[in-house]
Formats: sequence, C-alpha cells, structure tokens
Amino acid sequence: MSEKEKGHPPDEDLVRGALAGDEGAFRDLMERYKRRAYGVARGIVGDPDEAQDVVQDAFVKAYYRLKDFRFGSNFYTWFYRLLVNQAIDRWRKTSRSPTVPFDDAWVSGETSDPEAMVYPKTPEELAENRQLSEGLTRAIAALPEYHRTVILLREVEGLAYEEIAGILDCSVGTVMSRLHYARAKLKGALKGFREG
Amino acid sequence: MDCTKTREMIQDHIDGRLSPDAAGAVRGHLGGCRPCAAEEEELRRVGDMLRLWSAVQVGERERKLSPLWTRVRAGIEERREPGLSRLLRRWFWVPAAAVVAVVALLFYPSDGTRAPFHPKSFDVTVESLESDTATVALVDKGEGLPRVIWIIENGKT
Repeated sequence: MSEKEKGHPPDEDLVRGALAGDEGAFRDLMERYKRRAYGVARGIVGDPDEAQDVVQDAFVKAYYRLKDFRFGSNFYTWFYRLLVNQAIDRWRKTSRSPTVPFDDAWVSGETSDPEAMVYPKTPEELAENRQLSEGLTRAIAALPEYHRTVILLREVEGLAYEEIAGILDCSVGTVMSRLHYARAKLKGALKGFREG
Repeated sequence: MDCTKTREMIQDHIDGRLSPDAAGAVRGHLGGCRPCAAEEEELRRVGDMLRLWSAVQVGERERKLSPLWTRVRAGIEERREPGLSRLLRRWFWVPAAAVVAVVALLFYPSDGTRAPFHPKSFDVTVESLESDTATVALVDKGEGLPRVIWIIENGKT
C-alpha cells in the first residue's frame, strides 16, 4: 500500500514542503525512511553505532541536496544513493579487514544437528536463535561490500534491478551477477539448516 | 525444459523477471524435479532470512532511532553556520596555542635577559582600605613603597 493510499502525503509533497522551508515536512520524510535506511546501513557497515551515524549523515546531506531531487523519480531511490555511498565510504574507512574469509560453519555450526534445525518464521524467533542470527551477521559481513549492498537492496528493500543499478551507478547485468554471487554464498552458509 | 536451463532462470523466476510463458515453463519443471525445486527453495530462503535478520537489527535499535531527528537537526544547523564562523571554530587552536605560548614565555623567558616572572618574587598581602566603595585590596609590599596592584570593589574587580 502506498503512502497516499494510507492517507499519508506522498514523498513528493513532503519534498516540496521541505524545499519551501517546512522543516516538519523533511522530518516526516526522515521518520518514514529512517528504519529502512538503518537496516540497509547496518548490513553494509556492520557496526550498529556506525550505521546510525551513516543514516544521520545521509539525512543531513539529503536536506542540503534536496534541491537536486528530480520530481517524477522516486525519493527513496534518490535518498538510497546518498545513503549507500555514505555507508560504503564509512565501511572502507573503518574496516580493519576488508575481506572476512567465508566459512559455512558460521551458520551451520559444527556441533549442530542439521536435521534438528528449524528455520525461524518471525524476527522474534530469529532473535532467539543467536547461533543463526550471529552466523547471518558474519556471513553478510564476509560478502564484498557491493555484493551485500545489492542483495540487501533487492531482498530487504525489494528494489528492482534497474533501481539498484541506478543507485550503484552500474549496469543491470552487474546487479544480476552480484546478486547471483551473493545468493550463492548465503545459500551455502544456510545449507546446514533443515526445516523441522 | 531441462535442469540446466531451469537453474539459469531460477534467479529471474524468484525476482519475477520472466515472461508469463517462461515463468510457467520453470514452474512446470520445478513441479516434477525435486533437486531444482530444492535449489529454488534454498535461494528463496536466503531472502526470507535476510528480511528477518534486518527486522531484528532494526528492532534492537528502535529505542536509539527514536530521537534521531534531534541529531539530524543538529547536523543541519551545524552545516548552516556561516563559513567564517566555521573557519574560526576549526582554527580555534591557533589563537589558543598562541596564548599558551605567551604565558609560557612570560613565566619562563628564553632570552636570559630578565628574571622569570614568577609569583614567588612577590610579597603580596591582602589589606582593607578605608573607603566607602573599595572593600579589599591586594598590596605589593616588595622593594620600595607598598603598591596597590588589585582592588576588589563590592565583589567586583
């Protein structure tokens, strides 16, 4: 359901308001996207505090660049471009080890009985399964930054290939190959689990 | 459709990028091929787990995300400062360092031409003055005549 269908003003109206000096309109935009933005930033930079800083900086930057927004395009893809660039820059500056070796055992666990594993169906169930939750965190961190960005934008944000290509300034073919690689790696990491 | 062709198309099938005909052909193959169906299920599970993982991360951060506007607004105001003000703030350490250097040279002159300016060389006492306004005075009682060096008047210097 779109924001308009929910009775909320569409993004473009809020952008117009913010450009006219209505700070409340910009705040509404921020409130609308801050959780999703944090989810993406958290996946890219890894650290929760760094991710929140990235989100904050991206919104400040967006406020001053709002005049560059092209009406008719999506606000969130425009904003995600700022956010993702900010997150990748931050990750490169703060990351001590750019590539973590990938290890399927992070998720499957050597002592776990794969047949006994049950995949969680809700965030609460995943939060309770620390082994899987932490394993996923490490498996995501082990992906190259552009691969994890692509898979987060596709699977979590549900963006189209074309939108991801626009955000990352690359071709749709590159998005497809990065997505294929990331899915294969994460699938390998999850392989030890079997639904009960 | 064979397994090789199906595997090539699974990603597009998951992402809804196939034409209705092609999607139907893939579904037809998956219905009768357990290995390919398992492959598709595992790839879909990656997406399911990522969405749950992200929801967990956001949920754990919810409390700290609530006051985000305060921080964003502060960031906006900080960037709104006039350029000169920002420049002065950025280079504040220059005059601060100069003050420290002057004070250090005052107490410990490096040219050797005069004695260090040091509180020990003073013989200062606090005396009251017979005046309607002045309440306290610091008096230098060193060499020569006593000299008033500081007056504290009604609590103000």
